[in-house]
Amino acid sequence: MAAPAGAPIGALASTLAARLISTDPRMAVELSVSAESIGDLPRLEAVSSPPQTLAVLGASRRAVGLLEGVAARTPWRIRTASPETHDPREMTELALRPEVAAILVGAGDPPGPDERGWLDDLAGLVGAATRRRPELRVVLAGPVAARPAWAEGAGRPFDGSQERIVEGPPLGMRSGPDEPLREILEGLLTSRDSRHTAVRALLSLADTIDRTVELIDVGLDGGLRAMASPGIADQGPAAVAVRTAQAALVPRDIDEDDVEAVLAWTTGSLDRHRMGDRLMDLRAAPWADVSGEGARLRLAATRAALARLDALSPDIAGMPSPDVTIVSGGAFMIAPARATALAVADTIRRPGTTQLAADHARLLGPIGTIDDPDERRDLVADLADDLLAPIGSLVIVANVPTGRRQAARVGQISLDGDVQGRHDLVSGEVAFIDLAPGDQALATFEFRDAVRVGHRARRVAMPVSGGVAGLAIDLRDVPLRLPERRDRRRAALAAWGELAWPGDER
Amino acid sequence: MAGASAPTRAAVDEAPGIELVARRRLLISPVDAFFRLQPGDHALVKEGEAVGRGQPILEHFREPRTLVVPGASGEGDQLIPGDRAAPLGSRGREGQHLDGELLFRSGGRWRIAGGERPEPLESPVAGVVHEVRAGTGVTIRSTANAILGQTALAGPSWGKLQVATGPDGELRAQHVDVGMAGSIIVAGARMDAEALTRARAVGIRGVVVAALGIKEQRDFLASERRGRAAVHGLPPFGILVLDGASRRPIASPLMALLEAIEGGMVAILGDPPALVIDDPSILLPSPPPDLVRVRSGPLAGAEGTWAGLAGPRRFPAGVTLEAAFVRFGGRPPVAIPFGDLERFA
Repeated sequence: MAAPAGAPIGALASTLAARLISTDPRMAVELSVSAESIGDLPRLEAVSSPPQTLAVLGASRRAVGLLEGVAARTPWRIRTASPETHDPREMTELALRPEVAAILVGAGDPPGPDERGWLDDLAGLVGAATRRRPELRVVLAGPVAARPAWAEGAGRPFDGSQERIVEGPPLGMRSGPDEPLREILEGLLTSRDSRHTAVRALLSLADTIDRTVELIDVGLDGGLRAMASPGIADQGPAAVAVRTAQAALVPRDIDEDDVEAVLAWTTGSLDRHRMGDRLMDLRAAPWADVSGEGARLRLAATRAALARLDALSPDIAGMPSPDVTIVSGGAFMIAPARATALAVADTIRRPGTTQLAADHARLLGPIGTIDDPDERRDLVADLADDLLAPIGSLVIVANVPTGRRQAARVGQISLDGDVQGRHDLVSGEVAFIDLAPGDQALATFEFRDAVRVGHRARRVAMPVSGGVAGLAIDLRDVPLRLPERRDRRRAALAAWGELAWPGDER
Repeated sequence: MAGASAPTRAAVDEAPGIELVARRRLLISPVDAFFRLQPGDHALVKEGEAVGRGQPILEHFREPRTLVVPGASGEGDQLIPGDRAAPLGSRGREGQHLDGELLFRSGGRWRIAGGERPEPLESPVAGVVHEVRAGTGVTIRSTANAILGQTALAGPSWGKLQVATGPDGELRAQHVDVGMAGSIIVAGARMDAEALTRARAVGIRGVVVAALGIKEQRDFLASERRGRAAVHGLPPFGILVLDGASRRPIASPLMALLEAIEGGMVAILGDPPALVIDDPSILLPSPPPDLVRVRSGPLAGAEGTWAGLAGPRRFPAGVTLEAAFVRFGGRPPVAIPFGDLERFA
């Protein structure tokens, strides 16, 4: 059961308990749930926090671009400035804004030719900001504090004694792993955020079910993409995660690009202004207007957010298809299962097969608040059957031969034990085949030419699992190429959408 | 003084389940009004100082610029960033203003935020200066009641409140009358960019409206920027948006409040977005505890009474949502998704 943010948790728990008591009194007794015991029930609470603002400063536009590329893969909301784009007054104004909680300032070591002219000014400016705002946190990515101007601005030389000023690795001339700097930036934020704790729960889940698991979370203020692998031998489970404010369902400051990104996934007739209005309303009240056209709008915004998340997580996108893909966040929870599967297939274009599931009760975040990994693992094992709601299996096939005619048959699929026999596969289509939750089957694909489903072959057999959406087979281009012309694009989206949305209720 | 009272626990208990509906707070008190100080701007008040409505509280430059000045020997060591560079009105050898704010020193030279054409900002509310931070802002705490909105554009501003149209009305440019000059008007459900431009042109000080579209907001802000850059600047003008971007009527509890304070002095604040009610003696009506409003969806704007929880229900597009029964007038209760409802307190 869910209610809009701000609803008292006690009232929510009481309503849920009353339903349990009225529908299954015996279970209520077994679980020790009664009207009087609500307050005594154990609770795990996790909260997704609104992003804080990070001012990213560099001595050149290039340096700021490098820093921004790293900071974009963190939950910070970013504002950038460099002496090439802003004058010192404007940069100081940015550093002093009340909403700016931290500054990331960086330079190469040694500084690049484009940085040398401005680096002293930048050091003095940031040093002065630390003096004027004692609560401001600063990450120094490079030898900024070593410049004499730092001491002039800050009033004291940098000696590492102030905890709020952290040193990070300098800017590299070539792009390299950004983990060290990202870890520092994420370390400045609360570790109780649900997108942080959910990764810990994901590790426990991967270890418990001994499968690689991907988590895709799109929320109002940010997104998360994480891939967890089970432990091997004496090594524990491992995870790679990208949390980013840029994968928010609706950005806080909606611009033309944001509106266009959502419009590209819609089939309706809204113009840009009207779509902007709808997105502003969605941002202001994300729990409202979630049925009918509102549901379609929300999933269009989700696709736009997923595309941003995918673009910011190339390291995870390049990994093999995981055994299980979990979708989480309010963006997915209300949509019909097939529409959710289609939204994932539209944007996360990774050839292979994966079992789709939903964190329907939003339990991963709260479970991750348990610090003890053994206790967390036990709870995950205990809840394994109820933790996730199976959506179905998603198979994305790449390099599908294109027929001369549209809708050309390129192969067929058969499921063992399927009474309906074989299903034809048509190039460029999405097909849903019913496979009930809990059912397992061996799917055998036979194509006229070699295709790519994880590996290249003409005949592929793979185990698939059922779900509310059944088995989804995607034979469209990888990456997905939508028609340029708006009417054709809308027609294509509408045709795929008809498979996913029950009935024509528009 | 008689402020609006929040529904009592007993009142909520009479409508079980209603506490799960998103609660919209109508009034806040006290209000911490924040006024941004850009680097170089000059605060004219000190912490703890009482200010009256219309009193200048800060001065900002309409043509800000950064000056580079050699740090005088010896003196430079005593100055710190954020200090004023020189007494107000000081000028250099070439006639440039030196009365800016020290930003930072680098290579023995100070960067100073200064500018030309200083312009005062007057406080729209009476209160006490709670905090002054150079380069950041001035916070004034007022004990008055304030109606919270969703966003505010431009401002701050103040004037007498005038209800120009009903809660579902839409004020068109031809209906914006010069007789409303000097007042803050309640403009109903929505207002277009042309009407906003005319409102400003005839001397209206502010607009309170239920919804303002993204196009109207952008058009207005662009017009605001042009106006601010013009030679004579602009008189104070603010827009308070109560609900959002899509057209909907002003909620009846809000309309009742606005009608109760009509003719009185009010102020539009930008941060927080709010309409401050100057007169503490006005009796402010409070909404019935079982009143709920549909804030979105096909019935957006409709108001009814709480009729209990409806449990999970299937809605268009195959979406299953927690719902509640709402009774509109004398008709049978209708199941509405929880998320589409709001109540008032």
